[in-house]
Amino acid sequence: MKGKRITKKDLLDALKKFLKDELALLIAFERDNKAFKIRAYKKDVPDICLFNPVYEANTAIYLRRIFSEDFKILCIFRPCEARAYVELTKLTQVESRSVICGSVDCFGTVSSKLDNIVFPENPQDLKSFLENSKNLRYACMTCRLKNGVFGDFGLRIDSDWNLWVIPYTGKANVLYELISSAESDLPREFLENQERNGQVFQSSLDEFKRDFDKCIMCLNCRDICPVCYCVDCVFNNDEYLPKGDALINSILRSNDAQIPKNKEMYHFIRMYHVSQTCVGCGGCEEACPQGIPLTKYYKGISERLSGLFDYVSGRDFEEKIPYTTFREDELPNADD
Amino acid sequence: MEKGFEIKDDVNIVGFTCSYCAFKASEMAGSLRLKYPEGVKVIQVPCSSRVDPAFVIKAIFEGADGVFVAGCHPGDCHFIKGNYFTRRRIYALKEMFEAFSMKGRLKLFWISAAEARKFVEKVTEMYNHLKEGKK
Repeated sequence: MKGKRITKKDLLDALKKFLKDELALLIAFERDNKAFKIRAYKKDVPDICLFNPVYEANTAIYLRRIFSEDFKILCIFRPCEARAYVELTKLTQVESRSVICGSVDCFGTVSSKLDNIVFPENPQDLKSFLENSKNLRYACMTCRLKNGVFGDFGLRIDSDWNLWVIPYTGKANVLYELISSAESDLPREFLENQERNGQVFQSSLDEFKRDFDKCIMCLNCRDICPVCYCVDCVFNNDEYLPKGDALINSILRSNDAQIPKNKEMYHFIRMYHVSQTCVGCGGCEEACPQGIPLTKYYKGISERLSGLFDYVSGRDFEEKIPYTTFREDELPNADD
Repeated sequence: MEKGFEIKDDVNIVGFTCSYCAFKASEMAGSLRLKYPEGVKVIQVPCSSRVDPAFVIKAIFEGADGVFVAGCHPGDCHFIKGNYFTRRRIYALKEMFEAFSMKGRLKLFWISAAEARKFVEKVTEMYNHLKEGKK
């Protein structure tokens, strides 16, 4: 595999050339004094922020339902967001021909709800700042896939703090060819993030009920989840989430009188539905107004269930989602 | 409820059975005068892969003590490959139940239309197991 060693200026020049096209768009992070924002650039790009330490939402949700083939949308995302994009292309929720999505090495993030944190600008300082930060999000603390090796291209840092751009798919050429630097072999070592040993998730129904007792069924976690994309979610109708007359009827005909109804069922069903595709970004926990430790459960279950099929969400464009495929000679002991 | 049809059992099992095999097996069990517990409620589905795991979870949280999904043996599906998908899905769902220490509340059976005895055996075994756990 080959790549190009670049400076940030080379990258910006290439992006400027890329944006000359009428239908080209760049989606990236910008740094505005203290604040970090996601934004789209058209025609020109003054500056972008590659390493964004503040997490608001998984940006891949904005790519959902882009079905036109005419655009050229270049995205520079975090690894978890690029993985969500790869999953969405497999689920046919993004027209992959119009989106070129790359991933940048990530040092972890803190919640956007925290104010008054001043982040150093230099990536070197930022990395050590975040490593020693107590405010790192739980999802980032347990993240094992922080390297920019997902999506169409990667922007990575080697051990001497040089920036590299590495194409992974043919689509990346749109950007790669515009970069003036010479192509060369990749350095032997990239900046590696510390490996953290994951434990197998184990919980109990009582613990689960205790943790989710606070849930108010606002469905924010569903709406902000990048891979929970169904337009006709079962929890939009009265059968699974009764309201009004249906709520009163269902209370009268069942033993369960809690309001709102079906909290545990909702989280169980959603947990199963995203069990293979969950990228573990922790966006659900960010969106939860009640502060429920959602990442612990959703990520734990997804790691345990995708481990059964040796699947890693967003690893590869070609790899099929386990529930949509099978091998005839597998799982001989599946029945009881 | 009409007298005589009242179900006294305190253990409720919901079974999703494929109409081409396991449901036929349950019918055959009836015509062979084999008995299985009253608490077992059998639901007929066109194929075992029609069972969305959401159905199973809904049944559990709305009061069922156990749920089983029964389909044709792998390779014998009427729709050629439906039960291969069931196998993956229910296998993963069982793993999830295990993560929440709910092992034994979901089972997957392969039962062909001729295996009425196997159907009764499996269902009774599951019933007894759940009844013991409830005491």
